[in-house]
Amino acid sequence: MPRFPLRSLLAVCAWALAWAAATTPLAAGTVITNVKDAKGQPVADAVVSLVALDPSVPVPAVAAADPVVITQQGQEFAPYVNVIAVGTRVSFPNHDKIHHQVYSLSKTKPFELPLYGPGVTQTVLFDRPGVVSLGCNIHDWMAAYIVVLETPWSAKTAVAGVASVTNLAPGRYRLDVWHPRLAGESHREIVVPSGDAPPQTISITLKADRRIRRAPEGAGGGYK
Amino acid sequence: MTDPTARRAPRRSTGLPRGFRFRRFSLRLLSLLLGLLFAALATTYLVVSRANADTAQQHARTNVELAARAVRSAIKQRLDFLARSADLMGRDDALKTVLRASDPATLATLLQSFTRRVAAPVIVLYDDNGRLLASSQGALDTENSGPFSELIRSAIEKDLIENSGFSYLKDELHVLIVVPLYAPHPNIFGWFGLAFPIDREFGLSVRETTGVELTYLSIANPDRPRLLATTLPASAITPIARAVAAADRDRPSTEIIDLLDDRYVSLISFQDMLAAPPIALVLQRPLSPELASARELENYLLLTSLAALAAATLLALGIARGVSQPVQQLAAHTRVIAAGDYATRINLDRVDELGQLADAMNTMSTGLAERDQVRDLLDKNVSPEVAAQLMRDGSALGGEEREVTILFADLRGFTTLSEKLPAPDLLALLNRYLDRMSTAIEREGGVIDKFIGDAIMALFGAPVAQGDGPVRALAAARGMEHALIGLNAELAAEGRPPLALGIGVNTARVVAGNIGSHRRLNYSVIGDGVNVAARLQALTRNADYRTNIITSAATLAACRGAFPAGAGGMAVPPRPLGMVALKGRAGLVEIFAVE
Repeated sequence: MPRFPLRSLLAVCAWALAWAAATTPLAAGTVITNVKDAKGQPVADAVVSLVALDPSVPVPAVAAADPVVITQQGQEFAPYVNVIAVGTRVSFPNHDKIHHQVYSLSKTKPFELPLYGPGVTQTVLFDRPGVVSLGCNIHDWMAAYIVVLETPWSAKTAVAGVASVTNLAPGRYRLDVWHPRLAGESHREIVVPSGDAPPQTISITLKADRRIRRAPEGAGGGYK
Repeated sequence: MTDPTARRAPRRSTGLPRGFRFRRFSLRLLSLLLGLLFAALATTYLVVSRANADTAQQHARTNVELAARAVRSAIKQRLDFLARSADLMGRDDALKTVLRASDPATLATLLQSFTRRVAAPVIVLYDDNGRLLASSQGALDTENSGPFSELIRSAIEKDLIENSGFSYLKDELHVLIVVPLYAPHPNIFGWFGLAFPIDREFGLSVRETTGVELTYLSIANPDRPRLLATTLPASAITPIARAVAAADRDRPSTEIIDLLDDRYVSLISFQDMLAAPPIALVLQRPLSPELASARELENYLLLTSLAALAAATLLALGIARGVSQPVQQLAAHTRVIAAGDYATRINLDRVDELGQLADAMNTMSTGLAERDQVRDLLDKNVSPEVAAQLMRDGSALGGEEREVTILFADLRGFTTLSEKLPAPDLLALLNRYLDRMSTAIEREGGVIDKFIGDAIMALFGAPVAQGDGPVRALAAARGMEHALIGLNAELAAEGRPPLALGIGVNTARVVAGNIGSHRRLNYSVIGDGVNVAARLQALTRNADYRTNIITSAATLAACRGAFPAGAGGMAVPPRPLGMVALKGRAGLVEIFAVE
């Protein structure tokens, strides 16, 4: 309950930012995408990525960034959805006082980090594009996604459902949207002019949210 | 040719049919009472029996409907159990390790381990595209585990978290369920397929909880129905299959099927199959156990009915006897009375109508006895005709004054005769004489008043009035004289001396009526005229008169000139004998000889 006003506040801030982003003229090559669900509600944690369709478009090399961090804290992964470039290392620090056992059965990157204790950090290299579902063998409710992309142009929607992809050269692009609950696939071809592209609004259909809800502490029943 | 008698109407057309006419009251009462009682009892029995049958069917129906729910529930529970088992299996660390190793053979053995752990006979694993990864049973390959693939396909299509259905696995009826393998939840990595057979064992467990027989039957080939699972002997398939073939496919229907020497209330419903024609589920409850308690009641009812009938029979017979016996007694008594016995009395010792009838009969007997006495009395004195007339009129027995002609006859010389003859001969002779005289008198309608020794007193005009009494009296006198001649001829032939008589006839008003004591009454007449007649008879002894019959002027006056015919058939006028003084009487009486 106390989180609710905070969430509302965040939503307002995010909307203000998005509004600012949409109205403030940027340096050339930015695509702002609004992702909405079937009911017109903004969808957070959607991954928006663009793939250049014209060979003429120069694709900048993806910088091998420092390891992306997915923490394990309070028996939850954070962030829930992660967008990384191929060849990125992801570190999994355990900030809890208990053990975790991170695994993936996804074909993109099946792996397992055998039980490791508090304070330990494990790192995994994601060298193939695709979606990786992360879980913890101990805690059924812990789940996270890593979207490994070859394209340098990607962003994740915030609570307001807006993602902004920058540094786009003019040309034709395929705009992909991915979401953990996406039903089917979502692609769109857009043309980025010299300068700012018009904002894109994309409606996606979401499947039922079947994430495991943790039972309140002390309810004695684990989870449901 | 038609029989001419065939159309003829029955000869007797009484109100009651022939079978209902009884000679005996008791039989009639018995048949009536028993008939009514039997009808009432039979109706009751039929109604109760019908109600019982209905209740039993209703019970059986309820049972099979409950069993249908039980079947659904049992299947759902097992599916739930399998789904939970699949969920647990999906969280198994070893499974993930093996899956990462991509070793189908190891995976198959792991699934075999799972079959033991979760008690599911069949476990298969598919990837998220519905491609078979491994199976706990070697024989289950991609081809014949198709139904699982179909379930997965439709689950993905409809975004279901589990999907189940009926199908054949290796040609045996199974219930299948597919459950996602999450890695992690809710990310679907693949699908578990689990199944359990619907076999006789399943049917027995249903029967144990519901008492209902279960049969799964395929009539995909109507000529050769296939028994998939049953708790009944295999021989039951034919009648069941026949009923199933006729049953409504769209909704469950209840039929009654005769099989195995019982009647089964059968609920027939159809179960859709994965990639196969629907199969029939037949749930059956025999009627006999449902009817068992009702049978007991019916038997009890039957027994009480028979007892009631027996009691009613005895009662009816008793009542009938109570009526018919006294009636028979009364009838017998009537015959006794008819036979002339008025002294016997009937005693029924009851106060009802029959008792009243008996009392009335006794009163009648008393009346008849009194009447008989009177009649006896008359019979001795008068001719039967006169007696009958008297009985009819019932009058003239009280005292009254009336004109009567009195005839007195006396046998002459009887005293000397009585001295000569022995007593029996004398009496025989006297009676012979009296008999002839009586006949002569009665022939003329006279009434013998009394015999006084050898003398006769006879009346004409009493007790029944006769207009021609005097004429009749004189005719009787002549007849007597004539009869004596005949008797004398007989006596002469017998070598006996002849008899002689004297007759006096007088007509007078006298008092007539019953004279005597309370115990003994005699109808007679009294008065001076009687004495006169006696005196006139005495006068015949006077030889000067030369006659046997003397009458008075009063009699002749009463004849009014009508003289009866004499011996020669001719009316001879009486010969006047002059006036005589009679003893004990003042004045003279004119007398006449009748010849």
